[in-house]
Amino acid sequence: MKNKTKEFKNLEKWQGTLANCIRCGYCFEHCPMFHHTGWESDAPRAKIITAFGLLSGEIEPSESAANKMFSCFYCKRCEAACSSGVPLTEIFTDAKKDLLEMGLEGPGTTSITQLSCARCLICLSACPHEARSYVEGKGITTDPAKCQACGICLEVCPAGAAKIENDFGTNKEVLIEKANDFLDTHESSKAIVFACNWSYYPELQASVLPDSETKDNDYEILVNMCGGRLEPHLLMAPFLHNAWGVLVACCPDDECQHNGNLRAKKIVENLHNTFKQIDVDPERIQLVQIPAGDKTLFQAEIDTFVDKLNSMGPIR
Amino acid sequence: MKTIDEAKLIDIVGEKNIKTDPSDLYIYGSDSSVHHAMPWAIVKPETTEQVQGIMKYANKNKIPVIARGGGSGMCGQTVPVKGGIMLDMKGMNKILEINLEDVYCRVESGVVDDDLNLALKQYGVFYPPTPASSRIATIGGEIANNASGVRSVKYGATRDAVLGMKVVLPNGDLVSLGAHTRVEASGYQLHKLMIGSEGTLGIVVEATLSFVPIPEFRCMGVANFDTLKDAGEAIGSIMASGANPSMLELVDDVAIKAVNKTMDLGLKEVAAALIFEADGMVKEAVDYEIDKMTKVCEKHNGNDIYSSYDPKERAKIFLGRKKLFPALSKYDENLASTALADDMAVPYSKMAEMAGKIHEIADKNNIVMTAYGHCGSGCMHTKILMDTKRKDQWASAKKAITQVYEYVRSVNGTTSAEHGIGLSKAESFKIEKSDSLNLLATIKKAIDPNNILNPGKLAQAPEDWVTATNLRYSVNN
Ligand SMILES: Cc1cc2nc3c(=O)[nH]c(=O)nc-3n(C[C@H](O)[C@H](O)[C@H](O)COP(=O)(O)OP(=O)(O)OC[C@H]3O[C@@H](n4cnc5c(N)ncnc54)[C@H](O)[C@@H]3O)c2cc1C
Ligand code: SF4
Ligand code: SF4
Ligand code: SF4
Repeated sequence: MKNKTKEFKNLEKWQGTLANCIRCGYCFEHCPMFHHTGWESDAPRAKIITAFGLLSGEIEPSESAANKMFSCFYCKRCEAACSSGVPLTEIFTDAKKDLLEMGLEGPGTTSITQLSCARCLICLSACPHEARSYVEGKGITTDPAKCQACGICLEVCPAGAAKIENDFGTNKEVLIEKANDFLDTHESSKAIVFACNWSYYPELQASVLPDSETKDNDYEILVNMCGGRLEPHLLMAPFLHNAWGVLVACCPDDECQHNGNLRAKKIVENLHNTFKQIDVDPERIQLVQIPAGDKTLFQAEIDTFVDKLNSMGPIR
Repeated sequence: MKTIDEAKLIDIVGEKNIKTDPSDLYIYGSDSSVHHAMPWAIVKPETTEQVQGIMKYANKNKIPVIARGGGSGMCGQTVPVKGGIMLDMKGMNKILEINLEDVYCRVESGVVDDDLNLALKQYGVFYPPTPASSRIATIGGEIANNASGVRSVKYGATRDAVLGMKVVLPNGDLVSLGAHTRVEASGYQLHKLMIGSEGTLGIVVEATLSFVPIPEFRCMGVANFDTLKDAGEAIGSIMASGANPSMLELVDDVAIKAVNKTMDLGLKEVAAALIFEADGMVKEAVDYEIDKMTKVCEKHNGNDIYSSYDPKERAKIFLGRKKLFPALSKYDENLASTALADDMAVPYSKMAEMAGKIHEIADKNNIVMTAYGHCGSGCMHTKILMDTKRKDQWASAKKAITQVYEYVRSVNGTTSAEHGIGLSKAESFKIEKSDSLNLLATIKKAIDPNNILNPGKLAQAPEDWVTATNLRYSVNN
């Protein structure tokens, strides 16, 4: 096979690393994208294979190949799980830089700005990765090589103009629908747990349990990528479907890559005040901070929360 | 490339379950082996009827079909050498039944091993064959490769845990093989024929599996040895002593050095180490086994022998073994750790010699090889570390592999212990099974007359694995 590496100036340096990936696939069941679509071609290993294919000239730098490289939430769970120490997201970013030079840019999971943008520029300072800028005559643009799809711009934008088109199930409407579906179909349902992908550690990942095993579940975990993406409307929605409580899990104070946890904390605080005003126990909505991957602590917090809800009973 | 009637496939599984873009096909063209080839379409069925529909269509049009689970096979089992439809079985991922009364569970074949074990754990039971790749390997892939793992020395391989299965044949017919009971003496054991068939005889859509209680006590130990020979002989003696280890793993000096070189675990740089474990419901019984194994190790000059029941200590003992893959990948920045000559089995008495032989052959051919594995079940693993860019290294690797397997066969060993044959081990497989190749071909022809299921694998694979497909590495001329 012939090498055609000259066009991939940034990716080139990873040639040895790409050969060192043993293609074990240990990374893929941890990826929220694979979890959502069930397609191996959305998994981290697939991106490594694609990067290799692009670098070796075995695949064309096409729109669909680019879309794969531009789709990533940068949660780095794949890196934590990698059997061979491959720095996956660094490789993705370098591939993205080269593809951009070739005029390919996804959209993948890059946040775009729609026409309804009011040019308030709030998102510029809110973006933790300096990915957004204002260009005279063009409006707000996002640098796809810098955007890490944290979704914070979506939540701060008052005009609803920021959007991640390929949301892989992390969009607010989808989450509300999932929460409602769980609450409406499970007799013993009590709580919805919104977890950012860093604090979230799945138990059953790819497989599905029989109904008989899940019918008595009293809570459902929904992944919203970053705590910064939570907003009052999303957290209140389950209560309209008779939830007894809502638990929010995000990263410890100084561990969030996007400072989304600080936003989440503020939102929960505000909701506590609202709850007090309408005479509902504010404890029904709680925030816990879980270091990435600590599933024991996560489970313990959920159990404590559900116990508390059981002692409170439903909202009357 | 043969054309596939995409509309027909859409009729059967729906548009959302098909991919034909070259960038997707490229991804599905590789697994954990050194091989790569392009399929023509990826189809992800969700029901048995859909699998039947696809098989009927493919059989009529003589299109190859390759079942794929996690794509973690190490010998190119899922690499579509003749193109065709890649059947991604991960869409059939339901755990159907956990029957505690009758001690079996039923699962669709795309269920991931770890997921099944998580579901079973709450009942205090587990499905034991579990390969090291259990976090992505599917039950279908484990059946097709007859996978086994660290605990198979006590609990057996996939072969021993599968009671029955539902299989779609190449003509689309659905058959139920085996039974739901622990024993069955009714005629040909056709479900066993499917185990290890590497997707060449039928598509497994459902499996009935047995499980066993999770033991109350687990104790793990480690023993260091100054010569590989001593360690190898200790393995043989432990197994011959009637001890019942639940794990017996070997790591050689290359492996230990690799781990030490890349991370700070402070392992003692000895020629070899054995990790052993015993488990059971009664502590005295576990003590007895550990004591027995400790004494055998001492007899064979094992030193620094140490064992513990504490989960944290156990994790520490096993960490070196667990970190082996990343360590080998980082061993030398110019060398990649390849899945070649990746597994074999030899009689216990030959373990020591086998490990020594691997090093000798590696030196002779100017590559690095490491010996490790689930030696308690006779299984030896190697990895070949080489500069994958250099064409001459591939020639050396090929020579080394031929020599390794010549030795394996000369001592009545077998070509694969658990990873299977696929493409890269076909050379030795065909020599080892030379007197039954006709029989294999007859069976294949009777079940799959159009040769559509995973063609070009096992006995049909070419002897020269280097040229069998594109390699998934960039090789300079
Ligand atoms: C890091 C690593 C460690 C490993 N450790 C072990 C180990 O300890 N022990 C061990 O035994 N193996 C091990 N393996 C090898 C491999 O993971 C196992 O053989 C595993 O069983 C393959 O499962 P899979 O779902 O990935 O199958 P795939 O690789 O997708 O497929 C393997 C074969 O099964 C066939 N197949 C898949 N699904 C079906 C189905 N439903 N019906 C019919 N045929 C089907 C395919 O056609 C193919 O021939 C390891 C691999 C890696 C990468
Ligand atoms: S960083 Fe997260 S989203 Fe991106 S590939 Fe890895 S696991 Fe998937
Ligand atoms: S876990 Fe690491 S080595 Fe394994 S396939 Fe993913 S990137 Fe490659
Ligand atoms: S805030 Fe997050 S999603 Fe929005 S542009 Fe910045 S990095 Fe991308």
